[in-house]
Amino acid sequence: MGKKQRQKMNVTARYVLILVFCIPMLFPLLWMLTTALKDNAAVFKVPPQFIPSKFHWENFTDGLAKIKFGREFLNSLFISVIVSIGQICSCMSVGYALARLKFKGKKLWFYLIVGSMMIPGMVTVMPVFRLWASLGAYGTWWPMIIPSFLGAPFQTFLARQFMTTIPKSYDDAARIDGANRLQILTRIIAPMSKPLITVIAIQSFQGAWNDYLTPLLYIISKPEKWTLALGVGRMTSSTYGTQWNLFMAADIMYMLPILIIFFICQNYFMEGLGSMNNSGVK
Amino acid sequence: MKRKGKPFWRKEGFQAYMFMIPTLIGFPVLCAYPMLYSLYAAFCDWDGINSPVWKGLKNFKYLLTVDPVFWKSVRVTFLYALINVPITLILGLALAVLLNKKIPGIRLFRVIYYLPTIVPGIAAIILWQFIFKSDVGLLNGLLGQLGLAPVGWLTSEKVVLFSLSIIKWWGVGGMMIIFLSGLQSVPADVFEAASLDGATGWAQFKYVTLPMITPVIFLQLITGLIGCMQSFAEAQIMTGGGPNFSSQFINFDIYVNAFTNQKYGRACAESWILFLIILAFTALIFKKSESFVYYEND
Repeated sequence: MGKKQRQKMNVTARYVLILVFCIPMLFPLLWMLTTALKDNAAVFKVPPQFIPSKFHWENFTDGLAKIKFGREFLNSLFISVIVSIGQICSCMSVGYALARLKFKGKKLWFYLIVGSMMIPGMVTVMPVFRLWASLGAYGTWWPMIIPSFLGAPFQTFLARQFMTTIPKSYDDAARIDGANRLQILTRIIAPMSKPLITVIAIQSFQGAWNDYLTPLLYIISKPEKWTLALGVGRMTSSTYGTQWNLFMAADIMYMLPILIIFFICQNYFMEGLGSMNNSGVK
Repeated sequence: MKRKGKPFWRKEGFQAYMFMIPTLIGFPVLCAYPMLYSLYAAFCDWDGINSPVWKGLKNFKYLLTVDPVFWKSVRVTFLYALINVPITLILGLALAVLLNKKIPGIRLFRVIYYLPTIVPGIAAIILWQFIFKSDVGLLNGLLGQLGLAPVGWLTSEKVVLFSLSIIKWWGVGGMMIIFLSGLQSVPADVFEAASLDGATGWAQFKYVTLPMITPVIFLQLITGLIGCMQSFAEAQIMTGGGPNFSSQFINFDIYVNAFTNQKYGRACAESWILFLIILAFTALIFKKSESFVYYEND
């Protein structure tokens, strides 16, 4: 077998393998979609029916009616946007100090931030829970929103790593022009950090949108404040019975915003994750 | 040159601390204080309403000697991590190698493999809960087609951890992408040199690629381990820790102790045990890593 022929074989084999592995990746999602379009009787059909005989688009409106979708969607959207803003501001600020300024205790703070990534959330959950309760914040969104303004370890780390790679000469030039440090951050460093900001925005939005434990702890008793994650998560354990077609429809609507953001910012998503590599453990 | 007349608010150190304000508030309030408080509460009886009452090692003693669920939850969590950390590492790396070639359509395939990771945790859990259902579930439907008996994916003590692992494997695209960018950061001339020396295929992978991406493997090992150790929502939504506590992860057991049983002190003790376990493992891996992680800059 010649070299060229062998290469061709390799590519074909690769394609076959890639396509085979696509099936388990996509099939659950397709199953979700077809279930969302079936009537309830078809869900229980044996053998499983892969393409519904009739598309029940009304499942989407019915499913959304099962949970207070509109309200919960807006709640989630509001919280996620605020959290993103908070994390961008706080992580850029702290990251800037750690990456570009000299101060006593810089190393110590850096290690504290990196170290705090390893702490299981559950260790701090109880005291923080009592702290918020004693401040009267139980049943409000504050426990979800305020922490984002106080920095998130991973994103701060990412910001610090990113800003370290920007040449110091930019700062010096700006200083000679009379800019103060806040101006340097907002006018020089921030515009150069667009990929970083996008990554922080996406990750924090996604984090807040997906978060289940925090709303479960703080607002479970206030149904009008529920987020979509909570609404969808509690859906199957609610008293509506087993209308899986409606659940799947609601589930799709819950993940849709994240999917849309993903497809718009696809490159940043992939790059952002990739940048963990360069910063990683080095 | 030292400018003595400079007011303190113009000094770099002071300004740096102004930029650090989020952390200066956040770290003590949301990290240090809760850590110390939880350490203190671990030695107390605490119902979460009244002040904690010091009881010494009572909580630890109870957990380690009396509690029927604690050891089971430790075993379950370890087993889960033991199954999944290696499998996801190997699977993620294999898929990354598979997709690390410029062939037409490769970008689309990368997106497809990464797609499950985008699905929000709760959405994925609800979806799989449906697939695992014994009556209407897809998996049992397919088994029935083949003439096989249905499996209690979430109701059988022996199968439930495997079922939850399937969800983990489904989301392996996250690891794959990071491995992929790791593979792509290996400089091409290294491969050229290797192929001049006659290394091809498996040999090239084993002696060139693998050593070059050990930092990435190491990073994924640590984060994968921590991730497995902190599994929570799967158990909370899909199984409630059952059947017979066979999916009662430590993290979920802590939650149950705290918020269902109102035993905050015991939950704090348990969360510290979890923390120390994670710490010990990370330290061990860090120490061992010196022998297998290769850094270019060294």
